[in-house]
Amino acid sequence: MKKRMLSILLVMVLAVSLLAGCGKKETSSNQEQQQQPQAPAEKTGKITIWAWDPNFNIAIMNEAKERYQKENPKVEFEIVEMAKADVEQKLHTMLQSGVKDGLPDIVLIEDYNAQKYLQSYPGAFADLTGKIDHSKFANYKVSLMTLDGKVYGVPFDSGVSGFFYRTDYLAQAGYKPEDLNNITWDKFIEIGKKVKAKTGKAMLGFGLDDGGLMRIMLQSAGQWYFDKDGNVTVANNEALKEAVATYKKIVDAGIIKKTSGWNEWVAAFNKGDTASVVTGVWIVGSVKAEASQSGKWAVAPTPKLNVSGSVNASNLGGSSWYVLENGKSKDIAIDFLNKIYAGDNDFYQKILVDRGAVGTYMPAQGGEAYSKEDAFFGNQKVYTDFSGWIGNIPAVNYGLYTYEADAAIMAVMPDVYSGKLTVDAALKKAEDQLKNQIGK
Amino acid sequence: MKVKRVVGRIFVYLFLIIAFVVSVFPFYWMITGMTNTAVDVIKGKMTFGSHLIDNFKVLFTTYNIKRIFFNSIKISVLTTVGTLIISSMAAYGFEVYSSKAREKTYAAIMLSMMVPFAALMIPLFKLIVKFHLINTHAGLILTSLASVFIIFFFRQSFKSFPKDIIQAARVDGAGEFKIFTSIVMPSMKSTYAAAAIYAFMTSWNSYLWPLIVLQTDKQKTMTLLISSMSSAYFPEYGVIMAAIVLATLPMIIIFFTLQNYFVQGMTGSIKQ
Repeated sequence: MKKRMLSILLVMVLAVSLLAGCGKKETSSNQEQQQQPQAPAEKTGKITIWAWDPNFNIAIMNEAKERYQKENPKVEFEIVEMAKADVEQKLHTMLQSGVKDGLPDIVLIEDYNAQKYLQSYPGAFADLTGKIDHSKFANYKVSLMTLDGKVYGVPFDSGVSGFFYRTDYLAQAGYKPEDLNNITWDKFIEIGKKVKAKTGKAMLGFGLDDGGLMRIMLQSAGQWYFDKDGNVTVANNEALKEAVATYKKIVDAGIIKKTSGWNEWVAAFNKGDTASVVTGVWIVGSVKAEASQSGKWAVAPTPKLNVSGSVNASNLGGSSWYVLENGKSKDIAIDFLNKIYAGDNDFYQKILVDRGAVGTYMPAQGGEAYSKEDAFFGNQKVYTDFSGWIGNIPAVNYGLYTYEADAAIMAVMPDVYSGKLTVDAALKKAEDQLKNQIGK
Repeated sequence: MKVKRVVGRIFVYLFLIIAFVVSVFPFYWMITGMTNTAVDVIKGKMTFGSHLIDNFKVLFTTYNIKRIFFNSIKISVLTTVGTLIISSMAAYGFEVYSSKAREKTYAAIMLSMMVPFAALMIPLFKLIVKFHLINTHAGLILTSLASVFIIFFFRQSFKSFPKDIIQAARVDGAGEFKIFTSIVMPSMKSTYAAAAIYAFMTSWNSYLWPLIVLQTDKQKTMTLLISSMSSAYFPEYGVIMAAIVLATLPMIIIFFTLQNYFVQGMTGSIKQ
């Protein structure tokens, strides 16, 4: 009997120690790292950062880290790479649980979701008003991270949009680059028809259920699914009505190649099946990936809507850095962002050249990297153009539920395409559905 | 008569061929993808390309893949071994020793299968933080040791184990622990093998919980790595495919080595 108990006990001790063993190692090394930096005056500590995209945000953060460490060699960095959805999931779990252990110091948040975090977790993010000179950043970008007059983030990459087109196809259809400057969507459709007739190529790769283009159209008119106060403005929104009508016109004109999902959409222009793509500047990497099309591309300003106030500049996507109020190294994290992201011109030149990242730090945009000619785009100074457009992007309130609104509208689009619902009726239906969902 | 049989055969083969294509295609796509550039993968190129070495080079230089792969292996192996020991003992207890509360307790444990993990996540996370197990592999392993499904699975198998043998062993003076380790366990090998495959697969594929618990790149698992690779303005599909192939290998190896046991285990270990 005793022997049996003993053997059970031994097995259990063994199992527990085995498991405890793999846990202990890390905690002890964590403690070492926390105790180690004690030198006075010099900045010491460890900044933990969560972000996504190995070749973009992560690579850029590594560059920023190296620059900061030259001045502050005792500051350590832990840059954790996760998928975008994973960063969101993790952040929600940690903020909801109220646990402070393991919170990062800096986190990357997509602009469309910024208000959701700021409003859902008051006090979770550090107020950076006055600590960062926000006047040096693009206005539209600062306004989306402002809540009750306080600015909570450091603006990062821009999704400034452009009308990328194949010069060879457009020339075949009889259009010169000047003809494509500052056009409306109606003109765009007219050009598309001619391109289709002359070259047989579609003008656009187009996902019937993709709301990206609609968000570009809306923001170009300074409108969104929500007004300045965050109220739903779907049914009585002139710009949105025009955007939905334009979607239908584009589909009816037969100038699109239908695609479903990101990969097909990218494949459409990589394969040379479409003559243009209207989207954020971050697409440059995917366009250039097809090296055989070098010299055949150019960029024009985004087409505008036929409503008053619409401009030839808009935005799609983009994200910004936020500092957690309860992170362990909050102050060093703010200092780091301030020195590099809000002060280092040279850094912005480097990340543009290396990673194609267009920042929203305006002083950097006069730098030499921004005025370089790009052979892929027929020696056009594309980034000079993009930085010119950034300043014109109308500021809008993305509200808390951009993706929910997007989904509600895309759900009624099939009925708009088929003519079963008028634009007004469809938007009314979408608004009801959206209000239902978000409980307003 | 003969014609009928031939026609039947044709249909059977046709069906099998379709099933074969459907199940093998993803593997084919994965393996060709691994040899192509991202652009070619996007364009839907289905033939082998010449970028295999480049893709692996990027995978090994950009990511700490050896460490991450080892993390996954370590977590899965320890979880599997631990789950088999603990869950099989629990199931044995439920089946062999009777008490008034036995069936009620068992039912309560079974019911917990119906609670979705999302509902448990935040309390469990708080618990793990209290135990200082955040960002440790132990935080993953300890929480998955007692698997309700595997307890259920073992108990079903133990039901067919002849109780007379246990009685006989007791008469011969064997202790309860000895009976379990030297009589029951060896004769249930195939059940253990089937449960091992299941436990390993669950642990190897688990995603949400590691995501919440692990905090640094050093501690990461393969699932987290692959997920993070694909979230990008310009995803490198060729490299992602290479990582997926690596992540699939252990599952394939385990399944093929334990395949025979697996089928036996599913149909019951003891032949009466």
